[in-house]
Amino acid sequence: MGAVELFAIDFFQALITGLLVGGTYALMCVGLGMIFGVMRVVNFAQGDFFMLGMYAAYYVATALGVMAVLGPYVGPVVAGLLAGPIVFAVGWLLHRFLVGRVTGVAAVGAEGDGHYAQIILTLGIALVLQNGGLILFGSLPLSVPTPMSRESWELGEFLINQARAVSFAVAIVVALLLYLFLKRTTLGKSMRAAADNAEAALYMGIDVDRCHRTAFALGCGVTAIAGGLIASSQSFQPYIGFDFVITMYAGVVLGGLGSILGAFWGGMTIGLVQQMSTLVLPFQLQNTAIFVVFLLIVFFRPHGMFGRSAERT
Amino acid sequence: MLRIASLDVAYGGLRALDGVSIEVAHGQFVAVVGPNGAGKTTLFRAISGTVTPAGGTIHYDGHDLLAVPAARRPHLGIAHVPEGRQVFPSMTVLENLELGAYTEAGRARWRESLDLVLQLFPVLGARRGQLAGTLSGGEQQMLAIGRGLASAPKLLMLDEPSMGLAPAVADTIFDRIQQIHHEHGVAVLLVEQRVAEALESCDRGYVLETGRIVMQGNHDALIADDRVKKAYLGL
Repeated sequence: MGAVELFAIDFFQALITGLLVGGTYALMCVGLGMIFGVMRVVNFAQGDFFMLGMYAAYYVATALGVMAVLGPYVGPVVAGLLAGPIVFAVGWLLHRFLVGRVTGVAAVGAEGDGHYAQIILTLGIALVLQNGGLILFGSLPLSVPTPMSRESWELGEFLINQARAVSFAVAIVVALLLYLFLKRTTLGKSMRAAADNAEAALYMGIDVDRCHRTAFALGCGVTAIAGGLIASSQSFQPYIGFDFVITMYAGVVLGGLGSILGAFWGGMTIGLVQQMSTLVLPFQLQNTAIFVVFLLIVFFRPHGMFGRSAERT
Repeated sequence: MLRIASLDVAYGGLRALDGVSIEVAHGQFVAVVGPNGAGKTTLFRAISGTVTPAGGTIHYDGHDLLAVPAARRPHLGIAHVPEGRQVFPSMTVLENLELGAYTEAGRARWRESLDLVLQLFPVLGARRGQLAGTLSGGEQQMLAIGRGLASAPKLLMLDEPSMGLAPAVADTIFDRIQQIHHEHGVAVLLVEQRVAEALESCDRGYVLETGRIVMQGNHDALIADDRVKKAYLGL
């Protein structure tokens, strides 16, 4: 085999892995994009909801015995999905008792529209979750024990990691369901309206605070599902959220702040760039490559790939 | 139907409304006119619940409106077409109208209201799949009014519907508003800087200046009033 052929194989291998990784990153970014898009709240704790999703999936898979019942292949996937409703509930309660007090209709007219309070609050939640995680879960790195993370399907010359492929498929389905929810259902439409113009939404009789609570909880839950899925192919500890929150923000800004569809493609791009960069750069520089691409896109398209072009009113 | 009594609203130390009393009877067309900064938009916001009055009462159809949460008020039959149109820019024309029909009454009468809106503003039918943010100013105003009508309201509140529009377009909008009022029996509360047009179509009018009602009366009395003529009608 010539050098060109070898490179071509490496190239397509990285492309495939990038797409698979990108699918779960896309879902993770959609969660963050949804919270920002609907509530205009910069949620620093999003990485820690991701972390909670990983631990939720781990304990559902092992301690709750889902893997013992459903086996080491189906079990981790179901556990990853169940991380969604668990963290959804956490997000719902957090919004009900904390976040809702400094956001939404209540925050209009507050100093800086409540943004200072929001930033401090989400930063505080992040710290509490990280250190609370350390106390509850310990600092030992864990991962959902499944043989899928080591096994691959062979497709000609290419290897497709089973854990990543299954996570990809599940992430895409969840993202699609979320998309249909936002496009087709009354609640989804009212959430988009609240995102576009909260005051006008209120004049339609839409309960904007309820929309915000739903968006916050859903955003947390969706990111947690991404975490729960990734927990099968990566080890984690309570501080892992910090690594991911940066990637998440890069994806969301890349796609265009405020656009949920943009967050999806932004996350996908991040996964692709991260994997493709290994072709030419050392493994340690993966995240550097992400930021180079990030800076390039911000430089040439300040509103991101899907920036709100319709925003002219 | 709507009875506002000695309403006070203050922003910080600034008094935006000072003892304002206004009444709208069933099916009546009431205009509130006055210069920029007189407190017209604040009045609407108090009715809709996006500002909290410091004093006074608002009664609507037997309800103490100030005790009703803002998000519930449209469900009582109050449609607020806000200043500057405020359509949902990233949603289609049809989706905007659907959201107008978010109220119980709006949902029940969706088919009829959609027909009515498209018959009043045929251009919205042609643009039903287009994003609202890409419409022209006049079309956005038509959409904002259509969205208000889609809730099947008993009271339609219009905040400066002519703002920023070419005179010909503004005239069309005023014609349609009169048509809505005459043919469909909806009570209209209109706030306008274009005093002549607003007073011409109303049953009853109020002149609001720096937060106070300085004049009120029925259509004929206001049109004939010398002060109104001098200050607003340029006669």
